[in-house]
Amino acid sequence: MSIANTQLRTLIQREVLRFVRRPYNTFLPPLITNVLYFSVFGVILGSRIGSVGDVTYIQFVLPGLVVLGAMSNAFENASFSIFHGRWNEYIHEVITSPLSHTQTVGGYVISSALRGIIIGGLIVAVGFLFTTVPFAHPLYLLSFGVVTTTLFAGLGIIGGLWAEDFDHLTVMNQFLLRPLVFFGGVFYSLDQLEGLAYTASLLNPMVYMVNGVRYGMIGVTEINPNTSLLVLSGAAVVVLAIDLFLFKRGYGISD
Amino acid sequence: MPPAIETQDLVKEYGELRALQGLSLTVEEGEFFGLLGPNGAGKTTFINTLVGLVRKSGGDVRVFGHDVETEYQQARDAIGLAPQEFNVDRFFPIREVLMHKAGYHGIPKDEAERRADEVLKRVGIYDKRDERFDWLSGGMKRRLLLARALVTDPDLLILDEPTAGVDVQLRHDLWELVTELNEEGTTVLLTTHYIEEAERLCDRVAILNEGQKVTVATPDELKERGTDTISVALENPPSTPPSLGAYAHDAWLAGDALEVRVDDGGATAPQLLNDLEAEGYDIVDLEITRTSLEEVFVDLTRHEDRSVTRSDEGDGSEDQPPGDEQSGTEREEDFLEQGGAV
Repeated sequence: MSIANTQLRTLIQREVLRFVRRPYNTFLPPLITNVLYFSVFGVILGSRIGSVGDVTYIQFVLPGLVVLGAMSNAFENASFSIFHGRWNEYIHEVITSPLSHTQTVGGYVISSALRGIIIGGLIVAVGFLFTTVPFAHPLYLLSFGVVTTTLFAGLGIIGGLWAEDFDHLTVMNQFLLRPLVFFGGVFYSLDQLEGLAYTASLLNPMVYMVNGVRYGMIGVTEINPNTSLLVLSGAAVVVLAIDLFLFKRGYGISD
Repeated sequence: MPPAIETQDLVKEYGELRALQGLSLTVEEGEFFGLLGPNGAGKTTFINTLVGLVRKSGGDVRVFGHDVETEYQQARDAIGLAPQEFNVDRFFPIREVLMHKAGYHGIPKDEAERRADEVLKRVGIYDKRDERFDWLSGGMKRRLLLARALVTDPDLLILDEPTAGVDVQLRHDLWELVTELNEEGTTVLLTTHYIEEAERLCDRVAILNEGQKVTVATPDELKERGTDTISVALENPPSTPPSLGAYAHDAWLAGDALEVRVDDGGATAPQLLNDLEAEGYDIVDLEITRTSLEEVFVDLTRHEDRSVTRSDEGDGSEDQPPGDEQSGTEREEDFLEQGGAV
């Protein structure tokens, strides 16, 4: 194994072990939250709402909840790990080491995206307690899972470098991610929107993620999946380029 | 072989304030080099520039010939840093912390394990290998910082006030260890407030003040720049000091003794005694007090206002802003109690 591989593997391993060894903080909360979501939105409200198109309401919301869990965990993992490392200054262990900027960004993104994908998988498993899904297009599902978690892991890096206090992490979750999620078509169909509301929704990356994963899981989408994949991939490339630029400039990590 | 550290006109500015003001310094390979200076002199800023924690505003900085910005990977690979701050990963047992650090330097897992065990034994905390950092005592934390710096087998070991706040035994242990490492060929850069430490360990020392180099010399050369005091006890002391030759910078009476400040006490004493006897004084006793390095240091760095430079901010916990005494761990716990996610 080359030196570069050892360096990258070590950072990924450190990051993954950090969340794997704290399941009560990392895995259990999204499991409980999603049991509640499925119970309330899927079973209690869903039985009154009926179906959306050809699928039941609980099948309709399942992909959205998977995206919600995956992207928020990818974001939180990267932002918390970097911010906590800055706060306690142990990120210096990485910064003063001979990892390249690309390896550093890669290590944080891959490990955070992996956490998002694991959480997404766990939510699917919880969903199976309440309903079934056909996994209509598994390759699309995998692609959207990877691109979505990569994009939000990359955004999490920006958040972790920008934050100056723990409050800022909360602000990002509550005032940026949460509105994106609730207006991202997780709980309703875009067909129910008209005019400006519909157009504005198309600016929300959540819409593309939710529809892409929905297409992969149940074969239903309101946006062409290839368009969605292209938009999200483009966004991910831009965000990763920003991450790299910030590390090169030492933003948030050097004086 | 290029010098271990070479800086030319190094400048670091924080807005209007200049923490480093055109610093040019060379540390040769294999040297034990000391950096002395009061708080805010720019010592930590200088060190952090080498490892990428501070971005220089101007000038040139090289580590073993590698530019610290364009060839940062090679430069950082050569350095092992034991900083002042306890900046250690709190999530993992200390053995794993060391293995991670080794891994970041490209050392494979098996070798990283072996090295982690070796350095933990070397600094004397191997039995604590499965503990997390927060559970170690202050002295053990200091030892761990040194172990982390050593686990990558660096060519340049940088110790930023390694013995600050440690007991005498540990201080001597650390001195012994770093001397051993230097004898094995490791270049050592040491910053310290303890003059005795620099005098005892360093081949050469640089004295910094307000971001500028005041001087670079061996500890002996520095001491020679100071003055000695000859104290001559007299049987029949006069009421005012007698007039002496040009060799005496100053003279005063202290009880029955005449005290004279001269450049070189040993060389000047015979002439002083001759002069006093020629004037009819009976000499009872003689004592020469040599200049300490500490006195030279104080002379060289004396300034009306020690609090003028912004680089204080990079120089340790004593410079924390008021009201910011809560530790990172405590604040983290506050955050987690409030339901923050990890």
